Amino acid sequence: MSTEDKVKINQLPTGVPGLDEIVGGGLPEFSFNIIAGAPGSGKTTLAHQFVFANATQERPALYFTVLGESAIKMLRYQQQYTFFDPAMLPGSIRFINLSQVVLEKDLGAVLEQITKEVERANPAVVVVDSFRTMVRKPESDMDLQSFIQRLALFLASWQATTFLIGEYAEEELRDNPIFTVADGLFWLRQTAERNSIVRKLQIIKLRGQDSVPGLHTFRITDAGVQAFSRTFGLTGQVKDPPSQRRLCFGIPDLDEMLGGGVREGDSVLIAGSSGTGKSVLATQFIAEGIRHGEPGIVAVFEERPQAYAQRAVSLGLDLETPQKDGKLTILYLRPLDLSVDETMHSILDAVQKIGAKRLVIDSLAGFEMALSPGFRADFRESLYRMIFALTGIGVTILSTVEVDESFTEFPFSTYSISFLTDDIIRLRYVSIDGQLRKIMVVIKMRGGNHAKDIREYEITSKGVVILGKRLTNYQGLISGIPVHSDRSDSTGEPPLDTGIEHKT
Amino acid sequence: MTAVPGMRDLAHRLLTYEVGAGKTSEPMESPTLRVYEKLRQSLVEFVGVAGFQSLASRALTLATPEAPSLGAARVSSDGSLQGLGEIETQIDMDKDRAGEGGIILIARLLGLLRIFLGEALTLSLLRSVWPGEAFDDRNSAHGRNA
Repeated sequence: MSTEDKVKINQLPTGVPGLDEIVGGGLPEFSFNIIAGAPGSGKTTLAHQFVFANATQERPALYFTVLGESAIKMLRYQQQYTFFDPAMLPGSIRFINLSQVVLEKDLGAVLEQITKEVERANPAVVVVDSFRTMVRKPESDMDLQSFIQRLALFLASWQATTFLIGEYAEEELRDNPIFTVADGLFWLRQTAERNSIVRKLQIIKLRGQDSVPGLHTFRITDAGVQAFSRTFGLTGQVKDPPSQRRLCFGIPDLDEMLGGGVREGDSVLIAGSSGTGKSVLATQFIAEGIRHGEPGIVAVFEERPQAYAQRAVSLGLDLETPQKDGKLTILYLRPLDLSVDETMHSILDAVQKIGAKRLVIDSLAGFEMALSPGFRADFRESLYRMIFALTGIGVTILSTVEVDESFTEFPFSTYSISFLTDDIIRLRYVSIDGQLRKIMVVIKMRGGNHAKDIREYEITSKGVVILGKRLTNYQGLISGIPVHSDRSDSTGEPPLDTGIEHKT
Repeated sequence: MTAVPGMRDLAHRLLTYEVGAGKTSEPMESPTLRVYEKLRQSLVEFVGVAGFQSLASRALTLATPEAPSLGAARVSSDGSLQGLGEIETQIDMDKDRAGEGGIILIARLLGLLRIFLGEALTLSLLRSVWPGEAFDDRNSAHGRNA
């Protein structure tokens, strides 16, 4: 069958930010859907958003309430959301209470009442909330199955897109006739992880189109439900071909060590212990980008934007002006119960808003700490998705990570995430001639050659400054306790660092 | 605690409108009952019979101390108002104090809706029951007195 011969299924906006992408573009018109989940998981709010997004005077929405929350209280609470438009009631959205019929009669009478109202109103959207309270009545399975099939058939024939809302436990997923009949099954989960609440949404099934699989974080704010797709809203986005352009730090010696700078679209990791200048390097990287007309984003977790900008002043860098000019956004991302997906959403919004080319995440440890404990277990996997998504649209990411200094190992990160990064710059302290000095080395550059030199540097009022040539007259520099050798030939081969275990 | 002035005025407008509408319709019926019945029909649809019955009982309880004549009225299990018709058939709505109990009762009922649903949604629901002219200034207490 050719594409032209196939029936076209229109997609309706869900009215839930982020959910259209998750369901594959929008909700299939005339579909028969179930929103399931525990009490308080956001089922009613999600249904309201769909109703307010699709109801019109000509094709209204019918919202049947049954034995759950009373309609008057439901409207009292729901109108607190920004999507709620009182002017749409009752012309475009009608609430119909079925409690009397449910209490006094059987499912047949309920079906008859729904049928009557639907035939009278010709609605585009029908919601039954809570459907579960209706089917808890002692009816035989056959009666229930027959009722559901007749309801689904009737509502589809009347060209209505339907939501049944119910409180279901996950173990009820099997062998339940309702789930068999449904075209779409939306499962909302809410779990407590230590002191945090984690909300996740799953499209268990959706006939007729591809939805994004897996669990997606969602949050309920004063705007209603907001979903955060695992694909970060970048489904279908064409990945940019690898760029050959190099982005500089504005530190000539370091840029030279990097073979001219980091490759555009790379993920760069700066690893080092506290006070080694990771944030200073990150700030210089973002400031250099702005100097070259490349807007930047700095996501900070450990200090507030004002303090971050103030610290840059002490390095002779002005971050205030580019913020005012819309060339720089410093994001402070430290609410409670943060998910990586929400963070990503904020970052992507900022990236798209100012057309950012460089992104600094300062730091990964702060990022992890800002996450709800329930999301920390997925941190590495989430980080992978985030880096892949952002570098895919050509953003160069520089992340800082704190590592514990050790005299027996040379770890690049405590997260085992170095495989996610294209380039790694390692900073560390060394004890030389009775002084605690700093060295840096480029560990890896996926996109090309880089210097193998170990260079000493200092943090001055102008930022990171690399001192002299490579250190050739010491052995065991990366151990942090080098041994002085007699070699003073700065052009000779550097000594090997022996006895040190490299960990990634 | 008395009925909120804004709700009193709104109740007055609706009752006055129904007085005018009642002159052309039959049978002659208390305007308070006409307003009440229209509210009942509309609200029962979305809050259910039990939901409306609860609201109306609460409104009657709040209104009775302000209008002792309402003491004879009661809300039945289906939400309808009993015992008010006999009181109001003897009242001339054109006199200033006419239908005071009815105004207070309806004002209380509207006041409850405003408390639970807010003004915008309450007005939106009322506008779906009564035509625009029912909300005209001419039907307000101020309009009638002028």
